[in-house]
Amino acid sequence: MIRIYSCLALLLFSIGGIKAQETFPVNGTSDPKHITYVFKNARIVSDYQTVIDSGTMIIRDGIIQNIGKNLIGPKDAIVFDLKGKSIYPSFIDIYSDYGLSEIKKPQRDDGAPQFLSSVKGAYGWNQAVRPEFNACQNFNADEKKAEELRKLGFGSVLCTNKDGIFRGTSAFVLLADKKENELILEAKAAANLSFNKGSSTQDYPGSLMGAIALIRQSYYDAKWYQDGGYLKEYNISLEAINSQKILPQVFDAGDKQNEFRAAAIAKEFGINYILKGDGSEFERVAEIKALQQSLIVALNFPQAYDLSDPYDALNISLHDMKHWELAPYNPAILEEHGINFALTLSDLKNKTDFWKNLRKAIANGLSEQQALKSLTYTPAQLLNQEQKIGSLKNGMIANFVISSGNIFEKESVLYENWIKGIRYTINDPGMQDIRGNYTINIKGDKSYRLKVAGELMSPEFTIYQDTIPVKAQGTRISTLWNISFESKKKAPLGLYRLSGTIMKSDPIVLAGDVLMPGGNWSTWSASFDSTARIVHKSDSAAKDSLHRADVLFPNMAFGWTKLPVPKEVLFKNATVWTNESAGIIKNADVLISGGKIKEVGKNLKVPAGAIEIDATGKHLTSGIIDEHSHIAVSHSVNEATQSSSAEVRIGDVVDADDINIYRQLAGGVTTSHLLHGSANAIGGQTQLIKLRWGQPAEKLKFENWPGFIKFALGENVKQSHWGDKQVLRFPQTRMGVEQVYADYFTRAAEYAKLNKLNATLKTKNKSGFVPVRKDIELDALVEILESKRFITCHSYVQSEINMLMHIADSFGFKVNTFTHILEGYKVADKMKLHGVSGASTFSDWWGYKFEVYEASPYNGAIMHKMGLNVSYNSDDAEMARRLNQEAAKAVMYGGVSEEDAWKFVTLNPAKMLHVDDRVGSIKVGKDADLVLWSDNPLSVLARPLQTYVDGISYYDAVRDEQMRKENTAEKARIANRMNEAKSKGDETKKPTSKRIILKHCDDEEIH
Amino acid sequence: MRKFTNQNGIIIFNQYRYTTMYTPKIFTLIFIICLSAIGMNAQNPAPGEKQKGTVLIMNAKAHLGNGKIIENSAIAFENGKLTLVADATMIRIDKRKYDLVIDGTGKQIYPGFISLNTTIGLVEIDLIRATRDMNEVGELNPNVRSIIAYNTDSRIIPTVRSNGVLLAEVVPQGGLISGQSSVVNLDAWNWEDASVALDMGMHLNWPRMFIPRFDNAEREEKIRKDMKENLETLETFFNEAAAYLKSTKDVESNLRFESMRKLFNGTTKLYVHCNFVKEIVAAVDFAKRHNIKMVLVGANDAWRVSSLLKENNISVIINGTHNLPQREDEDIDISYKLPYLLKTAGVDFAICADGSWQVRNLCFQAGTAMAYGLTEAEAVSSITSSPARILGIDSLVGTLEEGKDATLFISEGNALDMRTNHVTHAFISGRTVNLDNAQKELNKKYLEKYKLD
Repeated sequence: MIRIYSCLALLLFSIGGIKAQETFPVNGTSDPKHITYVFKNARIVSDYQTVIDSGTMIIRDGIIQNIGKNLIGPKDAIVFDLKGKSIYPSFIDIYSDYGLSEIKKPQRDDGAPQFLSSVKGAYGWNQAVRPEFNACQNFNADEKKAEELRKLGFGSVLCTNKDGIFRGTSAFVLLADKKENELILEAKAAANLSFNKGSSTQDYPGSLMGAIALIRQSYYDAKWYQDGGYLKEYNISLEAINSQKILPQVFDAGDKQNEFRAAAIAKEFGINYILKGDGSEFERVAEIKALQQSLIVALNFPQAYDLSDPYDALNISLHDMKHWELAPYNPAILEEHGINFALTLSDLKNKTDFWKNLRKAIANGLSEQQALKSLTYTPAQLLNQEQKIGSLKNGMIANFVISSGNIFEKESVLYENWIKGIRYTINDPGMQDIRGNYTINIKGDKSYRLKVAGELMSPEFTIYQDTIPVKAQGTRISTLWNISFESKKKAPLGLYRLSGTIMKSDPIVLAGDVLMPGGNWSTWSASFDSTARIVHKSDSAAKDSLHRADVLFPNMAFGWTKLPVPKEVLFKNATVWTNESAGIIKNADVLISGGKIKEVGKNLKVPAGAIEIDATGKHLTSGIIDEHSHIAVSHSVNEATQSSSAEVRIGDVVDADDINIYRQLAGGVTTSHLLHGSANAIGGQTQLIKLRWGQPAEKLKFENWPGFIKFALGENVKQSHWGDKQVLRFPQTRMGVEQVYADYFTRAAEYAKLNKLNATLKTKNKSGFVPVRKDIELDALVEILESKRFITCHSYVQSEINMLMHIADSFGFKVNTFTHILEGYKVADKMKLHGVSGASTFSDWWGYKFEVYEASPYNGAIMHKMGLNVSYNSDDAEMARRLNQEAAKAVMYGGVSEEDAWKFVTLNPAKMLHVDDRVGSIKVGKDADLVLWSDNPLSVLARPLQTYVDGISYYDAVRDEQMRKENTAEKARIANRMNEAKSKGDETKKPTSKRIILKHCDDEEIH
Repeated sequence: MRKFTNQNGIIIFNQYRYTTMYTPKIFTLIFIICLSAIGMNAQNPAPGEKQKGTVLIMNAKAHLGNGKIIENSAIAFENGKLTLVADATMIRIDKRKYDLVIDGTGKQIYPGFISLNTTIGLVEIDLIRATRDMNEVGELNPNVRSIIAYNTDSRIIPTVRSNGVLLAEVVPQGGLISGQSSVVNLDAWNWEDASVALDMGMHLNWPRMFIPRFDNAEREEKIRKDMKENLETLETFFNEAAAYLKSTKDVESNLRFESMRKLFNGTTKLYVHCNFVKEIVAAVDFAKRHNIKMVLVGANDAWRVSSLLKENNISVIINGTHNLPQREDEDIDISYKLPYLLKTAGVDFAICADGSWQVRNLCFQAGTAMAYGLTEAEAVSSITSSPARILGIDSLVGTLEEGKDATLFISEGNALDMRTNHVTHAFISGRTVNLDNAQKELNKKYLEKYKLD
């Protein structure tokens, strides 16, 4: 459709002349012009893969009439002889905010909650969903900025309102100095999205996972609206989403992991996104390639750090350093992997760094052809405009630049940027290259040597008095050259002031008048002797590509150069804590193979090729399972803005690059249940992961797991510690909490009923039928009602624990797990009766708030003695590293047997998470998730020596020592390179320390 | 007072406190434990009475706290002081001379653990403002004294001492100069009785000297400016206080400056709290310039400048081993092995567990250091003799030596290991410590409810 439209447009353009601003009245005499321009003898790079040497291009009325070799233009044409010069298509930036007003920061300081959008009118409920915004209606040409962009070689940009989650349409415009009506090439060229709510003052979404849920729900709402929802309400926002479906979709994701997250939405809804990242794609390039989406790539390479202060330098991580070193290779790496991408000026602090950084990317392996493609053809093609712009072909828009030679070479000069047939001069094309060595003769004086070197457009002059160089000033206006220098050593002392013109070229002779130091006038001439050797200024874009360092997985300390694979391993002569009826077996062997436990017994034979580990005196256990963790989550763990956020999913925001994954492996943890926080009664959907350090987020997820959801009770839910402004959200008491559940489950049950009813209705294809609106929040609750999704509920005091069990009983489901459950000992009998699958508590935390004042370290033991399935969890990245010590506290407080205490952190959590068929014990056929300990794992003396997940050794104390050395060496190497960059004059930044944000369910502590 | 009786009709306690039924000849702790097992009480147990008889503990493995261990010991005390610390296999003992003889066979005996850098008694419930008495308003509060707010009736205290922590330094928090700390024993009627060393330390939170990353140049610059201002504020304050204290003329009194006198004349020490190497170096230089005795608290990076600390005789209070590395790239076990690194470098150090209720895990913070390089005796010293020496109370407590206070406890196993820590007896200056606490009470109450055990 769009193709046909563009072809039609081309046809119209080419028939006769186009009149500018047809609809506008003329003040004064009208000035119609239809001039034909002919550019001959040029090296024409007509598109990224075609070069016409000594070609001719003919343009008229802003459109290319003809292009090729040996063409002859009409008699009335203005002809430019471009011998020695090149023509390229002008560049296109499809992620620009040109012509749109600056985004205002959200202005709200009353601190009170804002539940709904503050925008008045028939729009959607969320202020960050503004698909109805059309850039074309808000576009104001800005000549100053346009000129800045033209100077860099750009001729057209996509104007995008970089504000909000659904950002509306962007306009594709020319960068000429004309009325807006003439500049807009495509009014609605693309639709735009992001995860950032921008200037929205509304609370929701307060997290990345909330933004993802909001996008998904909005798409479902748009579908519902189209299918009949419009009969119920008029909604400008939903109409806009629907009307934009046919447009290219540009998604500003943020970073590489967010690009995966956006791509997951794209997959769910059958959309293609053009993904804009932050230039870190190289860190996961294989997975980026697998997305099969096009990218918009920024050239904002990080600045080097000034590491001259050794203590400050300590705060710069290996990740910071490797990212600095490798980011300039990002475009080259994307090209190597055949990923389709456009380049953008966006994110550059100074737009003038564009050429420097582009050349750096080229020096680092990006081909010139790909660079040109990514700046011309690809951006046009991504907007379906490649028949109109981005190449130089008959009938296409005459957007092109004229340069002195290969545009990507450092020496090359951009002379002109023509925007739809209008000439904009950047550098005077009449400027002759006068660089070289000359002999100056001054009448009545002696002769001097003159050297003209430096840049073509701003040559530097040096006079040699005998052999002493004297710097001379040289300026030019039009064809007049002015050179002045001071004679300091040789008489006559003082200032020589010369003015002259080029009398002859090839070889050049300059001549004119000179005002001598004594005040008398004379004449001078300078004749060309030889070509000056052009010394390039030192350029950080040296051929770096030769020694490209390895990308690590993840690209940080303790990352892998190559991901590990499962091995066949035989542990010999260990004390094996089976967690099975065999109990704790001394002097036993365990064989793992293919990621599974293959054999458990005594005196097992070593299979050929297997690794044998002498575990004499050591203890072998199954891996620790942390029922309550908040590591490895990007952005916030809480969508804290509403009393229910059942629609959000931690699984959407798993962060594979969290160092705590590795640290916890080193503490014997192999599986972690990543929970939403406890800011609301109905929290978000949780995610069980295995700590497969180095793998991308998607591969951390525990396969075939039923799915859980976090609930919460008590002080956090009723906002007891949120300050005096946060007193409006329902509920503010435990009484209200019950009603939240009663209300939501009632609604969910009715929603489920309605869905079932509608599925059987025969009228659903008739007009006037309004389908049930798909509600991803209620979907999650329906899953609970149908026992397909399970609750883990943050809980402290007995009254509320009782309450939730009553709610569950009355709606016919079970509360799977009570987590924290510090007063569980008070209602252990009731929990048992209800059929709770798990009580997951702290070993000994208490006293930090009123609802834990009656907490007791004997809690776990009492619940265990009552026959409940008890586990100890961490809720803390630090404690999770030594959950073995916490398990021992079940022995200390309450005298649980060592064998049972150990199950508190292994088998019992596996059971409550419904994965005990896979993990939690050492049993043939189960996953080889094992830990080899130096000592009895319950002892304070025990240290994990090796940790295996799926038979893969992800942590090994010996290898860890080696990695530390490698990290140190790698940091030292890159520090030297940063220093080199600094010495070369690159701008550096002062070191800052990455903020470590430790997540708990209550809050986010920033250290 | 209402009296309560047990099933046998014996009066066991009144509503407000336990009474220890003190009979010099049959002074048994087990009895007391039995007594307290019977009823519920909303209050803490009463502090132990002054030692009247003589106590002998036989055949326990004794950790003297000074690096020595006696595998089979004889330890006796009278009038609150240790009268005998000996190898039971080397001497003859007449057990009849003692009013109470405790058989310590198979058990272990330790000097009472000393927890530095706590907020015990200053806060009851972290998130309830009315129960928080640790953070005074303002940046410079050298005249503020923690002992004043120390609440001997905090329910937290019995839970801490039942794991072997018998003495604590109570430290005010916040601001640049938070105020003065005192050392208390954890079994007392009021703060006067509790006090072991009054106003013995001045606490300074060294300004952060790194810039957290906000990717916002303006914000980062503001932090840089604040940092400089804070450093200047400290410098100015110390200079002004020193000048004031040198004044021989009759000048208008300034309580802040007056409170600095002990620091400048060397009778108290400056406890500087910081973790990053730059701050540590700056703090050491600061103390040197102002000629002040300094102790470093927190000190994650201390190992990086161990020779500086050693040369300047600066003791380090390590704020626990159960910490995450403070930088992404650091050795994953850096916090666990920090004590070992300092020991190897010859730096004097102690281990603390900050906070209030968390202090009951002090022993395990030291235990973890044992798993990562310290010997058992060194780990014990790090929470006994070392803190005593730093606090300047080592003539009284911190080791099991004749003449020192009988502040000690008996555990059934290694007290530094949660697998074996089980405190059965504790004494503070010879006074018997009731090891019951609210949580043990709740345990009993519910075991009874469910008819368990």
